[in-house]
Amino acid sequence: MAKHGGWAGKVLRVDLSTGKISTEDTLEKYRDYLGGTGIGYKVIWDEVQAGVKSFDPANKIVYGVGPLAGTGAPCNGRTAITTLWPTCWPKALVASGHMGGQFAAELKYAGYDAIIIEGRADRPVWLSVWDEKVEIKDARQLWGQGIRRTTIEINQQMGPEASVAAIGQAGENLAPMSVVMNSYSHSAGGVGGVMGSKNLKAIGVRGTGSVRIAGNKEEWEKLIKLHLSLLGANNQHVVPSNPQPWAEHYNAGSRWMASAGRRWGAANPSIDTGACEPHNLNRIAYRTNNAAYFLGDKAWQHTVRGNGCTACPIRCHTMLKVPAVSAKYGIPELGQNTCVGLLFGRAFFKSFPDGPKGQTAIEACMVGMYLADDLGVWDNYGQLQRDFQALYYNGIFKRKVAEKEFNSYSWNKYEQGDPTFLFELLPRIANKEGELATALGLGTGHLLERWGIPEQEWLENHDLLYWKLGHPKHHSNEDAGQCGVIINTQYNRDAQCHSHSNFTRNGLPIEVQKRLAAELWGSPDAVDAVAAFTPMNAHKAKMAKWSLLRKELHDCLSLCNWMGPWVASPLKEREYRGDDSIESLLYSLATGDKKSRQELDTIAERIFLLHRALTIRDMGAKDMRTKHDTIPDWVFTDPKDKAAFSKGTIRMDKEDIKLAMDMFYEEMAWDKETGSPTKATYRRLGLGTVADELAKRGLLP
Amino acid sequence: MERQEEVRANILNIIRDRSESGRLISAEEILTELKRRGLLTSEEIKPKTHLETALKQALQENRDVKEILAPNGVCYYYSVRRLSETYAGILVLKSENPLWLIAEVVRENSKRYPRPVPVAGFMESPFDLTLEAILECLRVMGEDKEYQDIAQTITSVGKTFLYSSRHLDPDYASMLAEWLDVGQADNP
Repeated sequence: MAKHGGWAGKVLRVDLSTGKISTEDTLEKYRDYLGGTGIGYKVIWDEVQAGVKSFDPANKIVYGVGPLAGTGAPCNGRTAITTLWPTCWPKALVASGHMGGQFAAELKYAGYDAIIIEGRADRPVWLSVWDEKVEIKDARQLWGQGIRRTTIEINQQMGPEASVAAIGQAGENLAPMSVVMNSYSHSAGGVGGVMGSKNLKAIGVRGTGSVRIAGNKEEWEKLIKLHLSLLGANNQHVVPSNPQPWAEHYNAGSRWMASAGRRWGAANPSIDTGACEPHNLNRIAYRTNNAAYFLGDKAWQHTVRGNGCTACPIRCHTMLKVPAVSAKYGIPELGQNTCVGLLFGRAFFKSFPDGPKGQTAIEACMVGMYLADDLGVWDNYGQLQRDFQALYYNGIFKRKVAEKEFNSYSWNKYEQGDPTFLFELLPRIANKEGELATALGLGTGHLLERWGIPEQEWLENHDLLYWKLGHPKHHSNEDAGQCGVIINTQYNRDAQCHSHSNFTRNGLPIEVQKRLAAELWGSPDAVDAVAAFTPMNAHKAKMAKWSLLRKELHDCLSLCNWMGPWVASPLKEREYRGDDSIESLLYSLATGDKKSRQELDTIAERIFLLHRALTIRDMGAKDMRTKHDTIPDWVFTDPKDKAAFSKGTIRMDKEDIKLAMDMFYEEMAWDKETGSPTKATYRRLGLGTVADELAKRGLLP
Repeated sequence: MERQEEVRANILNIIRDRSESGRLISAEEILTELKRRGLLTSEEIKPKTHLETALKQALQENRDVKEILAPNGVCYYYSVRRLSETYAGILVLKSENPLWLIAEVVRENSKRYPRPVPVAGFMESPFDLTLEAILECLRVMGEDKEYQDIAQTITSVGKTFLYSSRHLDPDYASMLAEWLDVGQADNP
């Protein structure tokens, strides 16, 4: 039994080159880094040298979970997978993929806070983790199989309770655009190829233990209820999408879709989602229907139910039943996913014969989920599909691909919005068949380089939403103006930060958002109404810092940053306040290590700083401001050429963004000129040895 | 005194019950309901002032119970424990001219959030207007100077939104409609 609650107490280390399996004490080595990405960054910093490439045996891959994984804390199902990122261009840098599902909890029940995989097996293997019994097993019979078959095969051996994280053919074939997936629909993008490079087909985990809660159980129960009461729908949208008797506010853009008369039509019997009054905690799971949100009203008739991660009542993976697809496409009539996973197939097409929210679009989603979630193809937050459309309609495919190969695709089907086109495209990406598919599987940056297309063309194109380093923006200026821009400069993949967008999109009137913002970041001016942005101020920089640290904290604790933070709520009696301390309250009670909100944020800052240090070390550059924290040109444009700060545009102003970066660096106590953290900042956050190492390399400002 | 308290308690129950079902109730309806339930003596039935006094006192003593004045001069009652002020406002407007309902909802949304409102939203509960009725309202609005601020914008996927030009300019309204209808889902 671990001394503390929360943590399982052990980190599992598996060297696939030697077959050596060992464990180490979590708290002894990683306590200052909490878990999740914290352990991941620490391992990469300590053990993977600068210059190592993603698919080198010397690269490591860390499946990290946090002290709240497997507890009763809501939304605790996230596993952070940290490694050198294969789609990061022009060179691999550290990044993390994040999968929900059941893997995180099962890993804790098996007794581990993380798995570190190193080396490379000499043949295909899978890793069986069944409590203390850890075995490297032959996977030759699984190699070449899709994720579903692999999962079923391993579940047959380990039992249905086991959680299986597997790669498909895309990962096996070292396509950088590949995922690892557990529980059939919960994927972490970008890392499938790294597993493939290690000949690691899957990890099956089964645990029969439990997670100890150190604190008073009644207090814990009370806290869980408080947290549940603060939840909105998916993405912490705290108002329903239409007027309802209990609701003071509503918003047509809300993911809180439940309402009297809106039914899960494919459930048997069908279910009326009804009025999900926020105090009724037993109806939280009815609030969200992401299929209806993304695919339109037609999706209600196909909805079976919501699905999701351990201990999360939100159920953002909507399960759809579309009987027509069995006969038409020969695929199962059931499918489930959320957001870009749900839209995977649809997003390739410019149009459909019956419109963007018609039956064909839904069928394209079903085909896309069926193929991508089995082959393990990643879409880089929709960049794959945006690139595909641009490359086809601009004639680039035709120019870059041999005529015979180009003509082997049914482009007429593609242009007509026929989902069967996906059967031609996606398996070829996964199997790296032909130039077109192989290039797409590399990711944007490597594709552009391979085909001699200047990155600048992508940086200028507003429609492509490309940001830098081979990746797109993820909630940038469209969501929170300068705050979104700052956040998108910081990571080595798409930013994956929702702290800011979950606040700005929560559906509350701007006057309420401003009141909450004043309490959180010191001034109502920290937030603006959508597309009515005002010039930069210090409070926006505070919000940016807070957003980044909360994201990192969630990734370390296994909380879901797609759901949190919970600083707004659906509760009128709280004047729609959430609780900015919920993470520290949960952490303190679960672990017994009492930490205030500020203390926990300081740890998150340390972890975020280590990510920064790793980026600086591996880039071999300290001038982060101009070499890393770059902003694409499209951010400073507007389709109607409206001026920045006029209403109706998300256009940013170059001088203002310079000021924004100044203010952010100041807020972080980094050097303003280079954007590099100072020695004093490293020391203040307990990373003195990291500063010393960077100093030796001439990488301190 | 005890009897007066009993009457007030009965009135409160009736208001809260009605709110529970998502509806407002007028003084007239409260009286009818009291009678139907046999909760008034014959002496109490006649004088209207008796009910008015009891209602007034119930309102003063119970902060959850609110009064809302409809444009036709009728007062309605509801409990905010079960029915929000926003929803009550919509119900009151609904009891009147649908033109007014659409215009006021659009103006409020344009001013407060700010955002335009999808036309299709008026076909859903609690508005429950038919498409034909909505289109007719919009036609009439176009000709009535009282509604000249109610304007339309159409998103890139063909969905029509309404906004009030008193609070949103056309470009801003167009951008917000596109954000609600297309932008948020395309940037998930």
